[in-house]
Amino acid sequence: MIVLGFDTATPATAVALLDEARPAQAAERRHEPAPGERPGHAAQLLALAAELLTDAELQFGDVERIGVGVGPGTFTGLRIGVATARALGQSTGAELVGVSTLRALAAAAEPGAPQGTGVLAVIDARRGEAFAAGWRDGEPVLDQAALAPAQLAQLVADEGGAWLAVGDGALRFREDLERVGCSVASDGSERHGVSARAVCRLALQTPEGTARDLVVPDYLRPPDAVPPSSRKKPTA
Amino acid sequence: MTLILALETSCDDTCAAVITADGTLRSNVISSQGIHDAYGGVVPEIASRHHLELVNAAVDDALRRAGATLDEVGLVAVTQGPGLVGALLVGVASAKAIAAARGLPLAPVDHLQGHVAANFLRVDGGEPIIEPPFVCLLASGGHTLLAGVEDHDGFSVLGRTLDDAAGEAFDKGARLLGLPFPGGPALERLARDGDPQAFAFPVARGLVGLDFSFAGVKTALLYRVRDLGDDAAREQAADLAASYQHAIVEALALRCEQALEQTGVERLAIGGGVAANGALRARLRRLGVTLGIPPRELCTDNAAMIASAARYVRPQSFPAYLALDAYASGERALA
Ligand SMILES: [Zn+2]
Repeated sequence: MIVLGFDTATPATAVALLDEARPAQAAERRHEPAPGERPGHAAQLLALAAELLTDAELQFGDVERIGVGVGPGTFTGLRIGVATARALGQSTGAELVGVSTLRALAAAAEPGAPQGTGVLAVIDARRGEAFAAGWRDGEPVLDQAALAPAQLAQLVADEGGAWLAVGDGALRFREDLERVGCSVASDGSERHGVSARAVCRLALQTPEGTARDLVVPDYLRPPDAVPPSSRKKPTA
Repeated sequence: MTLILALETSCDDTCAAVITADGTLRSNVISSQGIHDAYGGVVPEIASRHHLELVNAAVDDALRRAGATLDEVGLVAVTQGPGLVGALLVGVASAKAIAAARGLPLAPVDHLQGHVAANFLRVDGGEPIIEPPFVCLLASGGHTLLAGVEDHDGFSVLGRTLDDAAGEAFDKGARLLGLPFPGGPALERLARDGDPQAFAFPVARGLVGLDFSFAGVKTALLYRVRDLGDDAAREQAADLAASYQHAIVEALALRCEQALEQTGVERLAIGGGVAANGALRARLRRLGVTLGIPPRELCTDNAAMIASAARYVRPQSFPAYLALDAYASGERALA
């Protein structure tokens, strides 16, 4: 099976292509915005996917399954990823599998964590919060939630044991996490970026595709409440 | 027959449509979200979330109603802007992916050009509603402008609103009269039982050129409602609505007349949500020029108009459009 996997929940755009027959050779392409630059999801996602396919001498129509990171993460990024996955599936008939972005982040870091060490996936949720979830030996230990860093640190401390934290949120809230004994991968570690290869692998491990209309972003937060008086209907 | 499939998600309606290469309307699906009424306006994040949930089903629906499949589609079109950027991006990402998956070309379309191009559609197998040259009044909740349309592929801006859009003026007036959102249709209904001459609201005749201003009429209504007091304002709500609507319609009609005079063109078309207003339609019919008035569902936001505009856009071939992004504001440079 040919699996195309991507994630747009963080400012990065990550895309990977995996052939079930040669899983170790899965290729990945990424776009990381420079500091201060806006995320490039809209411009990068399909372009990177097309590059991967061209390199593999394949076309979009050859993709049999699409894994898409459904978050949590930035709302607009998630929608670009999910809309792209759903429309590709609609156009080619490829199966869809929604993959937790936090699970993909943790799964890529697990091989590097000593046995028994929990892996905490942390995404910067902005507004001073983190989206986080934790696994130990591949089993879920901390359910995903949007938390203030102090709350997250407390949860990790309460859970006990050794922890390795990865993700842009782990970098952002390094001090809070290290204070409770959680180690954070070094600043330059690629484990802080969501791995599209991991999205492909998780999508491949899922027994069946998900019905298109059930593949939706996991926003974890209600829509921003903006007072309607300050807004106008821009088109009609 | 090669078909054009179009998506439009610039505001709160999730739209998909199919037309033929000669502009014959085959299907026009408008999935109204409705949920914004409770907020008294469109909440961008809520609109964007709903677009994502509705867009694929809208495409399925448009194809089914057209009696077609994606195999017969030769061109995919999408609104690139202006509008709510988060909402636009759902349509752009979806359209790009549908096209890329099949190696089809993609036509990015300007939303305002779409409103103009609604007039080029063949409805019920007939001729286009109106052909260039003509003057087009585009009036909605987000934009109010007069377009000089000399060809199918663009327009020049003859005048635009300096403050509120006409649809916004309707919505704000409706709110002052205690009517629910969306205010335009509610105000129009209330105005049917009122006297348009009961109150004299300003028509902004003093403005130079072909620009519009609706701030004055809105303020005048605000003061009038305040002076009358709650009870009297409630009693005379129909008269207030009719007079207020009359002032807006007169302002729009006056500028249309001036634009026709200035350009020497005796052909007028309208588009945008306000073009669905019955009083405006009746007033413009009395101008005595050749008039293009699309059916209401082609005046308000829809994807058929985007498909229509796509017939005159040079499409981008695969893979040139993969990096295409949406734009939120401004009008793209139009030929
Ligand atoms: Zn519009």
